Formats: sequence, structure tokens, C-alpha cells
Amino acid sequence: MHEVSVALGLIEAIRNVAGEQNIERVAAVNVRIGALSGIVREALLFSWDVATAGTLAAGSELRVEEIPLIVFCEYCEGERDPRPGSGLICPECGTPAPRIVRGREMQLVSLEVPA
Amino acid sequence: MKLRVVEVAANLMLKNDALAAKLRARFAADGTLVVNLLSSPGSGKTALLEETLGRLSRTYRVAGLVGDQATANDAERLARSGAPVRQISTASECRLDAGMIAKALSGWELPRLDALFIENVGNLICPAEYDLGEDLRVVLLSVTEGEDKPLKYPLAFNTAQLALVTKIDIAEAVGFDRAAAAASIEAVHPGMDVLELSTRSGRGIDAWLALLERRIAAKALIPAG
Repeated sequence: MHEVSVALGLIEAIRNVAGEQNIERVAAVNVRIGALSGIVREALLFSWDVATAGTLAAGSELRVEEIPLIVFCEYCEGERDPRPGSGLICPECGTPAPRIVRGREMQLVSLEVPA
Repeated sequence: MKLRVVEVAANLMLKNDALAAKLRARFAADGTLVVNLLSSPGSGKTALLEETLGRLSRTYRVAGLVGDQATANDAERLARSGAPVRQISTASECRLDAGMIAKALSGWELPRLDALFIENVGNLICPAEYDLGEDLRVVLLSVTEGEDKPLKYPLAFNTAQLALVTKIDIAEAVGFDRAAAAASIEAVHPGMDVLELSTRSGRGIDAWLALLERRIAAKALIPAG
């Protein structure tokens, strides 16, 4: 729901890296988005062209890796993936597993730039 | 065109988290309790804050910050409580962030506060991601909403310390299933503190205010650095 501001945050992070490493143009951007981050992949992709227009990332390809929700079940002593819509319940033993291991990511992973 | 890969691994929330840490340090030095209220639109955040600010301002120095995408209606309602209230117009943004709080506080002539209440934008998804430097995150669930809301929005209920079940005076009329709501809260936040209340009938309000007063007292005791 806040995809445009996420896109602008990405551009700011890209600018910071570009400034440090003298990068003038970015061809592709790899990001990681968790299932609980509230970001809709399609909406982020949709906003990308407009958000990057006139920046060093204009025309770049945005690649979104979606990270599923993973919790830690204290009872099973292992990482589990809850069934969608079941909350944070361990799918194996049915006990609540409120410790979120993955699924909150909002990460700029890497850039691809002209060599 | 030959390309090379530049590894970055930057967490996009770091900027907000750093700003939130600054706010938290400032509120700790001032001994100000900060409460962040989250809920869907129409769950009763404004009504509850009207009551809360009105009652607490008799004894404490309290203020409110209200996030709203389009209107100043909520801030105007809250200002009637007599407490200082400031509106944050978030425009297209669906949540408040720490930068917006810092900006709203700067240049606002306020006494040292005992408590600051932040009414987030009505939305259970995005606000859950943004730390505002608060001590207490409270999520509201009204009895007219589905009892499975915690399952649909696990992060809001997982990251909040307290859940308020609001509009409890009409629970029976709307067929609210108390056990089902409790079970879905338990599924995302085992042992979560839950209070039932109604600003209309007054039920549960004293317990809510007593909880806040305890938290205000505890925060005030922390000696300023």
C-alpha cells in the first residue's frame, strides 16, 4: 500500500550507493520483499517506471524476490511456514509460534550496472 | 552491454528505525510516555482518544498527534478535549513514520509532556512496519469487524503490546464471538493483554486509564540522562 514511498526509498538507497561507488547508471535492481511487509509486488513494479523517471535508475528492470513468512516453533524447535490466513500458528503441531524469522524484509539486495 | 553486480544488502527500514531510536531517546529524557494507536478505519481510535485526552488532561500534561490522509476532522474533534493536538496530513501515505513525528514535534510549543498519544492512519498493514519511538503500541479491534482480523493482519497484533476490543456495548447486537476473537489474537500473539471497552457506555474506560496512569508513572520515574 505504500509502494510509491518504498520505490522512492529504494531510489534514495541506490543514490547513496551510486555516490560512493561512482555509478552513473543502473540497469537492474534486485530487491527482497517479505510476505508481511505490506508491499504488493505488482504495485511496486507498476510504480517503478514513474518513480525512477529522470533518475539514474530510469528504464531499469526491477526484480522482486518475494520472501514467504517463516516462524520459529518453540514446541517443534524448528522453522515452519504457517498456512496463509492461519496467523502465526505452527502447521505441524498447531501451537502459536509468534517469533517471526522471515517475512518482514524490505531490502535492496544488489544493483546491476554497466561494467 | 556488459553488466557487473554491485552487492548492497541495505534494509529500507533502517532510516526510519534510526529516526525512531532518536525519538525514543528524546522521550526517555523527557519522561514522556508515547502511545501509538493502530486500527482499521472506523474502529474507534478518535472516540477513544477524545475520551482519553479529556480525562487525562485534568491531571497530566498530554497531547495528541493525528495522522490522516485527507481531512482535519479527527484533529478538530480531539482539540475539543482541551489538550493540544496537531494534525499530520499524510496525503498519499498510508501510515505515519518517525520522520513525520519528528517534523510535527519541531516548532510545536509544548510543555514537557507526561504522555503523547499518536493516532496512526486507519490501516492495519503499513503502520505495523513503522516504529515511531513509542513505548506502547495499542491495536484496536471493534466488535463490528471480523473476529479473524488478527489472522489477516498478524504483524499489527504481533507487534502491539495491548489489544483493545472496542464498541463492546453493542457486542451482543452484532453477534460478536468473543471466544473466536480471543483465539485469533492468541494465534498471533500468545498471552497478549486484551481489554474490552466502550466509549459510549464507559465500560472498560477506567481500566484503560488506570493502565495508562501506571505507565505514565513508570516512565516518569526513569531519571533523565
